[in-house]
Amino acid sequence: MIYIIDHNDSFTHNVVHQFSRFGKVECDNFNDINETKLKKSKVLVLSPGPGAPKDYPLISRIYKKYKGEKKIIGICLGFQQILYCEKGKIIEQNKIYHGFQSKIKVTNKSLLFKKGQKFTVGRYHSLKLKEPFFAKNFEITMRCAISNVAMALENNNEKIYGFQFHPESFLTENGNLLIKKILSA
Amino acid sequence: MTKNNYLKEIAKSQKPFIIYKSNKGFDLYTDFSKKIILSNKNIKNFINNSTKKKTKNKETDLYIGFFGYEILNNLIDVKIKKQKGLKFPKGIFYKPETKKKLSNKLNYKSSENLKSKSTFNVNLNKASYKNIFNKFKKKIKSGETYQIKICTKYRNNSKIDALDFFCRLTKSNMAPEAFMINDKNYSIISCSPENLITKNRNFISTKPIAGTLKKSKKLNKSKALSFFKKNIKETKEHNMIVDMERSDLSKICEAGSVRIIKKKIVEEYKDLYHYVSLIAGKLRKNTSSLEIIKAMMPGGSVIGCPKISTLNLLNNQERENRNIYTGSFGYLKFNGDMRFNIIIRSILNYQNQSEISVASGVVIDSNASHEFNENYIKAKALIDLYR
Repeated sequence: MIYIIDHNDSFTHNVVHQFSRFGKVECDNFNDINETKLKKSKVLVLSPGPGAPKDYPLISRIYKKYKGEKKIIGICLGFQQILYCEKGKIIEQNKIYHGFQSKIKVTNKSLLFKKGQKFTVGRYHSLKLKEPFFAKNFEITMRCAISNVAMALENNNEKIYGFQFHPESFLTENGNLLIKKILSA
Repeated sequence: MTKNNYLKEIAKSQKPFIIYKSNKGFDLYTDFSKKIILSNKNIKNFINNSTKKKTKNKETDLYIGFFGYEILNNLIDVKIKKQKGLKFPKGIFYKPETKKKLSNKLNYKSSENLKSKSTFNVNLNKASYKNIFNKFKKKIKSGETYQIKICTKYRNNSKIDALDFFCRLTKSNMAPEAFMINDKNYSIISCSPENLITKNRNFISTKPIAGTLKKSKKLNKSKALSFFKKNIKETKEHNMIVDMERSDLSKICEAGSVRIIKKKIVEEYKDLYHYVSLIAGKLRKNTSSLEIIKAMMPGGSVIGCPKISTLNLLNNQERENRNIYTGSFGYLKFNGDMRFNIIIRSILNYQNQSEISVASGVVIDSNASHEFNENYIKAKALIDLYR
């Protein structure tokens, strides 16, 4: 079962429908997490949402508890939450992307996607990862084709993945394929 | 079709009545056998029970009325602190016993001369609007909201003949979700263009508008489309609303069934072009009317995104009750079907005061003076009715 933690976002149910293509999905609000479902789940998904990772200490605790035990996938805020827990700094960016369609490219660090491959994706984020960023087993595997901002991460050892953009947005082409690949990784 | 002098009769009879835009003309509902004033206590029962009634599918087997902004917040557990304003009911629904079809040409002129000399006052001046605007821009930078709509209100003291106003409004601004309510102690007139819920059996759709362009001689439909496409701000706002409405529908629809049926098209109205999308899905089995309303209301396109944190930001900022503004008007049929709009471009007349609320969006690249003036332009079409 895939357990999605919703950070009260207005895009979460698009994520739910997208993951439902590939397996049974349960979704609860972060204020209302069901311990049994959380324990039982094989995959944990951290949803997009407003604010910054520091606003959600409970999610940081859950991440640290299940890291290495379950596959963990973060989207937008969820992506930043993973990086934040790995001692990454999440900062405001000058140019803000809300409802923005842009091109991203796969870096040479990716094991799942072909190096240099480009995707058109939908973005909704005012914050970004401050770089350089180093954490054991973590690689930045996609970047904005123009600004080079970090757009995806892979940790294939502990099965942790994340996207700064929104694979579930109608602005993202081949979003289902992206999710399919990381779910079968 | 009912003859036009019916409007004169109904005005003379002093009976409460409601007019709502239909496909071909208007529907008039009257002879109300029940009037339900909504509160936080009775709303859930009202919604659930109204659609569990046995029905012979008579045209009047429905409740028609409105939900105000506050009660829709409370319904999804968003609290609003005590606010100033008219003590207007949070929502009212009626059970009609008569329904009449009317043509698109509504003809009625008030016999009294009720022209009001009282001027409209705005509740926020440009300086305080800018102040709020900049506050919200910071919230966008820190990621608490992606888009937020600031409401301003225009008010005057006036007694109005609502039917006369509505007839003139439909001449100048025919809108697909136009409606009016005329009751003994209040009236509402609206030329809302925006449908929030159309539900027939297990099919549900919503038709958000994000992007409005005033018609001019130089413009046609395809030029309007290329304007919207080239305008990055409008495009981003629209994209955000489309993804938000997809998500709201996904809460209550079968996985994989939510589709964008019309993607970012231009619709032409008498004075305006609107940038609209149509999104639809197949409802999950046994989804209750209450679940539908909670998933979709208050309508996202007039609030901002993400909905809950944006509502909280708005509610901490706004000192005055929005009343009907950004609530929803429409009907719940006994068989569970429903149609609701978003209440915008409206006048609420209560206790001899008229209130016109308007809002425009703050995204990261919007400009405070531009949006403040935009608000006035939106209100002006309604203010002009008083001249």
